[in-house]
Amino acid sequence: MTQRMFICRCEDVTVAEVDHAIGIGLESVEEIKRYTGLGTGPCQGKECTVALVHLLLDRGRITASAVQPFTARPPAEPVTLAELASLAELTGPAELAAPAELASPAGEAPPSGATP
Amino acid sequence: MIGADSLLRAREPSALAGARRLTVFYDERPIPASDADTVTSALLGVGVVATGRSLKYRRPRGPYCLQGDCGTCLVRIDGVPNHRACTTPVRDGMRVERQNRVLAGGPDPTALVDRLFASNIDHHHFMVRPKLVNRMMQDVARNLAGLGTLPDLPAAAVRPMEHRPQVLVVGAGRSGLAATARLRAAGLEVECLDRFDARWSTPTAQAVRWETPVFGIYPAEGVIAAIGGTADDRTLHTFRPSHVLIATGARDVMVPVPNNDLPGVFAARGLLGLLTRTDTALNCPTIVVGAPAVAQPLAARLGASFVAVDDVQAILGGSRVEAIATSSGKREAGCVALAARPAPVSELARQAGAEVVWMDAGFAVARDELGRCGQGPWTLWACGEACGVTADVAADDGLRVADNILAAVRSRPDRGPR
Repeated sequence: MTQRMFICRCEDVTVAEVDHAIGIGLESVEEIKRYTGLGTGPCQGKECTVALVHLLLDRGRITASAVQPFTARPPAEPVTLAELASLAELTGPAELAAPAELASPAGEAPPSGATP
Repeated sequence: MIGADSLLRAREPSALAGARRLTVFYDERPIPASDADTVTSALLGVGVVATGRSLKYRRPRGPYCLQGDCGTCLVRIDGVPNHRACTTPVRDGMRVERQNRVLAGGPDPTALVDRLFASNIDHHHFMVRPKLVNRMMQDVARNLAGLGTLPDLPAAAVRPMEHRPQVLVVGAGRSGLAATARLRAAGLEVECLDRFDARWSTPTAQAVRWETPVFGIYPAEGVIAAIGGTADDRTLHTFRPSHVLIATGARDVMVPVPNNDLPGVFAARGLLGLLTRTDTALNCPTIVVGAPAVAQPLAARLGASFVAVDDVQAILGGSRVEAIATSSGKREAGCVALAARPAPVSELARQAGAEVVWMDAGFAVARDELGRCGQGPWTLWACGEACGVTADVAADDGLRVADNILAAVRSRPDRGPR
């Protein structure tokens, strides 16, 4: 078997591949993820993100005080499309709130549904 | 494929044989199992460590984390793909099959990929040109891509169940259980959920919805969604609580050493959890690899030897672990357990809008002095290892945050659910 050192086993991303990505100028967790596919397999970054941060810190590409993981989105656990569909039925039609609506102070009128 | 050498043995001689009264089928071959077994522990009991192949380099793969996080133990169970073998309790007569096999029996010809492409495959440029090669590549990729094939039968209907508790506790580990007990003792209506069955946790008198993982927190819709029930009777739980307490604990992550993907390489804490659950001990020479402060205590508890991560040159083996090459020579091993500091589990807190901070072992949920980490349709709280607190004081931390939730509920009784 060829000797390989893995950061992300879901997508078969090795330390050498991350170093290649660093070599072409990528340096943040998000950039490495987009380029290598790291963190996009069945585990969704649960196994690899911390190992990647340690590697980027070792290589001097990021600082510990500023580093952030990539965005966490549902589903965090395996769920079937049928189950997701029944959730959509329960919670009504997809009237997704604009992100600003959540952040707006109490009492202030939320923005209308239309995207500006 | 079924190896003769069990990786596990009973702590009490003769105990295991008597307890193994169930039978599961792995690719149609019968395997004995006990009530405490998961699919993975039953397979390790008959020496099976490799349950699949990796997507790109087509290397043999098997379970690693042993606690439902990593995603390489996925198998088809009773005609439904992508079950996590490591956390799925066995049932008598269960049919377990490997996924994504190129041929039903015999060697997998795609295993050659790993040897032919000894340097890295760069998928940005790999077989993109000329067009004919690209088309052939696409045909192969389509057959190999994805995880498993469609279920044998259409999915059963999903039963919805709505809940409006005062407090929803996510996670029934040390901190979550402690907080749940304190809040209920004070008369609050509390729902406590856990991803897995009760055998992974310390015994508790508290009512917990086991095997009911929260998969989504949707602040914009004001809903938290979890899925529970059995394979043919699924229940979709939706929660609209006034307070949410994130108690998701910590997990093992990957430790980069050469050939860290070989079947038989496990996460050390996960392996300890499996041995505790099944009341078994390791039946093969095992080496714990990590930083001394973390790995040495785990090696002692596993009954294994220890090698510092800096001394490891490579893990050696063909289709499974056989040895470790160290700076002072080769050491035989049937198992390698990788030990890193437990990383806080923060995905659900982040979905709910909480911020995280890097704390060397991982990203911990950032909270104020009371334990709050967000305000939306509910007040968001967090406790225990998810916040970077160590396991030994996690229960105390859960109690402290529970007291602060109590104070918040009592100061705003109008925010009760009913």
